[in-house]
Order: sequence, then structure tokens, then C-alpha cells
Amino acid sequence: MFKKSGDNAPLFAGLAVVFFMIGGLLTTVVPPMVDRSWGKPFENADASKGPVGKLEAYTELELAGRAIYVREGCWYCHTQQTRTLLADTKRSGWRGVDSPVSTPDEFVYDSPHLFGTKRTGPDLSRVGGKYDEQWHRTHFKNPRDLVPGSIMPPYPWIANDEKEFKAMVAYLQKLGRAKHWRPDNDYEK
Amino acid sequence: MAQEKQTVHSAAATSGAAVHEDTTAKWFLISAVVYFLIVGVVAIIIAAKFVWPEMLGTVAMLSYGRLRPLHVNGMLFGWLLAADMGLTYYLVPRLCGVKLWSEKLGVATALLWNVIILGAVVSLLMGWNQGWEYAELPLPLDVLVVVAWIMFGINVFATVATRKYQQMYVSLWYTMGCILWTAFVYLTGNFATLFTTGVNQANLNWMYVHNAVGLIFTPVGLALAYYFIPKAGNIPLYSHKLSMIGFWSLAFFYVWTGAHHMIHGPISQWLQTISIAFSLMLIMPVWSVVYNLFATMKGHWPRTRDNVPLKFLMSGVVFYLLTCFQGPMHSLRSVNAIVSKTDWIPGHAHMAVLGAFSFFAIAGTLYVIPRMFNVKLHSDALANWSYWLFMVGGIGFFVTLWLGGFWQGWQWNNPSIPFIDTVKALKPIWIVRFFSGIFMLGGIVAFLYNVIATVVDSAGAKPEVQGA
Repeated sequence: MFKKSGDNAPLFAGLAVVFFMIGGLLTTVVPPMVDRSWGKPFENADASKGPVGKLEAYTELELAGRAIYVREGCWYCHTQQTRTLLADTKRSGWRGVDSPVSTPDEFVYDSPHLFGTKRTGPDLSRVGGKYDEQWHRTHFKNPRDLVPGSIMPPYPWIANDEKEFKAMVAYLQKLGRAKHWRPDNDYEK
Repeated sequence: MAQEKQTVHSAAATSGAAVHEDTTAKWFLISAVVYFLIVGVVAIIIAAKFVWPEMLGTVAMLSYGRLRPLHVNGMLFGWLLAADMGLTYYLVPRLCGVKLWSEKLGVATALLWNVIILGAVVSLLMGWNQGWEYAELPLPLDVLVVVAWIMFGINVFATVATRKYQQMYVSLWYTMGCILWTAFVYLTGNFATLFTTGVNQANLNWMYVHNAVGLIFTPVGLALAYYFIPKAGNIPLYSHKLSMIGFWSLAFFYVWTGAHHMIHGPISQWLQTISIAFSLMLIMPVWSVVYNLFATMKGHWPRTRDNVPLKFLMSGVVFYLLTCFQGPMHSLRSVNAIVSKTDWIPGHAHMAVLGAFSFFAIAGTLYVIPRMFNVKLHSDALANWSYWLFMVGGIGFFVTLWLGGFWQGWQWNNPSIPFIDTVKALKPIWIVRFFSGIFMLGGIVAFLYNVIATVVDSAGAKPEVQGA
């Protein structure tokens, strides 16, 4: 069959598509039908089953901030996933409490998804509520004023635009808050 | 195996019969090498920003987050895919022993492609970014890409349909496979994603990202390697049977591996395991291709000494072997826990796109430009210089980022080290990467100058020919 397809272009094209489609369909269309948690927003009231909480849809302001995050390509350097690695749960943790790992049901309202592939800066999947507005303002103006050695670019055009800045901070404060896992919600001063 | 060693030569020997215009190939190739330089400059700027983060930092359009997608899309679509398409327009008619089905359609495709690239430059600088890796371009441009791809596909398939040689050489299989698979892969990554959210969308996005390399750049790149290695070296291909194993195993295995971009991440464990198993099986298509090409060169390696295209091609095969060994290895959970999301990844990605596939495209360009313009290559010495600049820059880039990536990964896995210290630790790595980039840019300049000078030489030579 393969030998013959070397002489017969339609047979060849048909075979090539069929071969590709087997894996193509089984890995894209089938998984969300098998694993329903991909499409069901997180909700848990039973503390014995893990952190309680509920995933809320984004507000308009948070969506505006998210659009800025996408526009500026923040996701090229900041991942949004606390992986199933001990170090990730410690690094995403807060004041000695480890963060829960990220689960598919926490991202149901995300489009575009912002999981990221490169971690040039720290992961942001649990950054919400860790730093207050003033911290973010200073940090966006010049990250090195707060974090010496940082290589994050300055974003004066966000920090100096009150509307954009408020939206951006609203989005950041939302990140990772569906699960209540922290001892308190104090900001870093 | 004796009777299997054929096709490229039987086809090539008689291909002189059809007179090829190559207008489309010329358009694609020349615009591609120009984008190669422009985007190379962007690459240097973003490499510099790792070392001097304030540089050009207060101009929104020139910030890292805007220039990085310009670099990635520019290199992938402006340079590499355009060069691959140009070379396809060159080799398909020759392998079929007929003229290209329609030069008019081809030139229109080249023009449309340039419109897309210029549109991409404007959109990405403006921040009109859809937020998906490799699929950043806004929807209208995505639609134009689909139109251009259909125009390209029609031309190639119509040429194949009118071919004089019944048996299709392996380069034709890879070209046709690339066109068919890309159609589905591109639609998945740029259109199906619109109707999904969260992990489901990420799964489609990474199916596309992974297969953009695996089922677009790999097959079209291998089509070039299978065509130009026997041609440039003047050696028959070692085995038809191995080509077949390599092709059909690629067609079947590659598409299963997208989820390996989310290992340890918020995606079903069983899907991660499937992607890991199939990532390991990729060794099959890769090693059968690499064995075939090495066996073809057996006894003929001295020919790489003064044959620059062959040198690029065989180095590309070595880089292909290495990058495709890394891929399966860092899909393993234990390795992935160290290298994933680190600077190892750009080291790996650049070896695939620059070291393997761009080397094939550069070799092809250096081989076909003199033949299309009926003149000698402007300077073999300069071509050799560009080879060594790419090689030194490339090795400097790849190796330092691998070391840096492991270093970074080990530090991340020790949570007592503050994150910022893992950033500071990488500074020497980024300095070396910047200077390696300067070498690569030198390679691009030498390559571009050589191509343009060859074309100019041909313009100067024409009146003589006509006068005689």
C-alpha cells in the first residue's frame, strides 16, 4: 500500500491525511470529552477535599487588565501555572504556606489561555493579593527600584495611565484567588 | 538496494527538458533573505534587553513583549517558511519534469505572503496580539494565511498531477504531506482555539505550536534535505525503503505529542503520559531519516570540504539529530522537572529552527540562486564565512543556553533560593547569548550580501549574453 502510494498522488494524499487524523482527533477532540474538569469552573465547599472556594468570571475591569497583559506580551516571561512540583508549590506559596497546584477547573474563563512556556520572571498563577497597588505602581515604573537585579522592562505607559493601571492591577489581584488557601490576605508592604 | 537508489537522479537528469521560469521561487527567496536580516536585527535587540533591560525600554512599540513575537513570527513565517516555499516552487517542477502549473498564481502567492508579513510587523508592534504562541497574528491576517496556503497547495498539487515521472521522489511526499497537514494544524491553532477556553484551548494551541515545527517545518525541511544532499553532493540516495519508514512514521506519530508542553501542568496526567510515549517514538522517524542521509554521505564526506551548501546541509542533519534527541528526552517527567520553562528551551528551539531547518533553507538558497539566475555564486569564500559565523554563533548560543537552563532549573527546584537570585545567576549566560547573536547576524549579513550580489552579477552579465 505504501509502495503503491509512491506512484499514486490521490492515494498518497488520502493515506497521509488518515494517518495524521487518527492522532489529531484522539488528542484534541476526545480529551475534553473524557476529562470534564477542563470545562467545569472550580467550586468546592468541602474542606476535607482540598481548598474551598469558587471560580468567578472576570469583571469588565479585570478583562480590560487582562487585555493589556496580552497586548504587552507579559505571558512571554511569566507563566501562570503552579505545577505538580514541590518547588512550584513553595514558590507560589505565601508566608510559609504552600500553594495548591493549578487545576484545569481554575482556568475555564481564560481566553486566550496564558499558561506560558517560559519563566524568565516568576510564575504569576498565585500572585493575586500579594502586593498592593502602590507596590505595583512603583514596580511598573521601574522594576529595579523594588527588585534590584530584575530584568523586567519598565512600563511607564501603564503606570502613568490611571485607567490602564487600575485595570492591570485588578487583573493581577484576581490571579489564583479562586482557591482560598492562604492564612490571611495581607499585602506585602 | 541498488534499484532503490534512484529517482532524484533519474528525475534530475531529464529535468533539463522543461524550461523553468522560477519567477515565483525568486520572489519568495529574495524577500525571505531580506526578512532574515531585518528580523535578525530584532533578535539582537531582544537579546540585548536581557542584559540591559532599560535599553529602548520606555518606547511601548520597542518593548520586549512586542519585539519577541515579531522575532518569532518574522523568523518562522517571514524568513523560514517563505524560503521553504520558494525552494518548493523550485524543486517540485524539477522533480515532476514539468513546468510549474501556474507562475501567475505563484507570483500572486508571493505578493500576498509579503502583504501578510508586512501586516504582521505592523500588528505586532501595535500590540494587536491574540495571545497564543505562534498564533499571535490577528484574525484577518490568519485568513490571508489560509488563502495563501490554498494558493500554494493548488499550485503544487496541480504540478504533481501533470507530472511526467510516475514515481514520486521522497521530497515530493514530504512537500505534499506538509501542505495537507499544515492546513489542519493551522486551522486548529488559529481558528478552533477561538471556540474554546482554558486548558482545552491550551491543548489545541500546543497541538498547533508543536506541529508547526513537526508537521510544517520538519517535512518541508526534510524535503529540502532529501533533494539537495544528493544534488549538491552528486550522490544517489542510500535507501528508498528507509525514506518510506521515516515518512509514514512521522505522519502517524508526530501529532500525538502536543500535550508534552504542559508536563506537570494543569492538564490530565493520562494525556501527559500519552504525549511522552509518542515523543519517545519520534526517535523512529528521526533516526531513519538521519541514518538514510548519513549513509548517503558514506565515503563522500570529503566533499563537504569545499562545497558550502553540502556543509550547511550535513551540519543541519547533525543539528536535526541532536534537537530531536533533546525533544523526547525532556518530555520525560524527571528531565522536564529541571529544564521546562528555563532558558534550555530557547536553546533547543533555536537548534531546530536555525541549526537544522534554516541551515537546510540557506543551503538550498545558495544552491538554487546561481542556477535560477544563470550565473556563478558571487563568492564561495563569503558563503564559507557565513557558514562559520552561523556555526560559531549557533554553538555559542545553543550550548550556553543549555548549561544556563540546567543551572536555572536546579536553582528553581531549591525553593530556599529566592527567584531573583536565579535571574541574576543567568546574566553571564545572556551576555554570551548576545555576542553569539552578533556572530549569527554576521552570518546573515554575509549570506544576504552573497545572494543579492549574485543577482546583481546576473543583471550585469545579461547584456553580454544577449550581445553574443
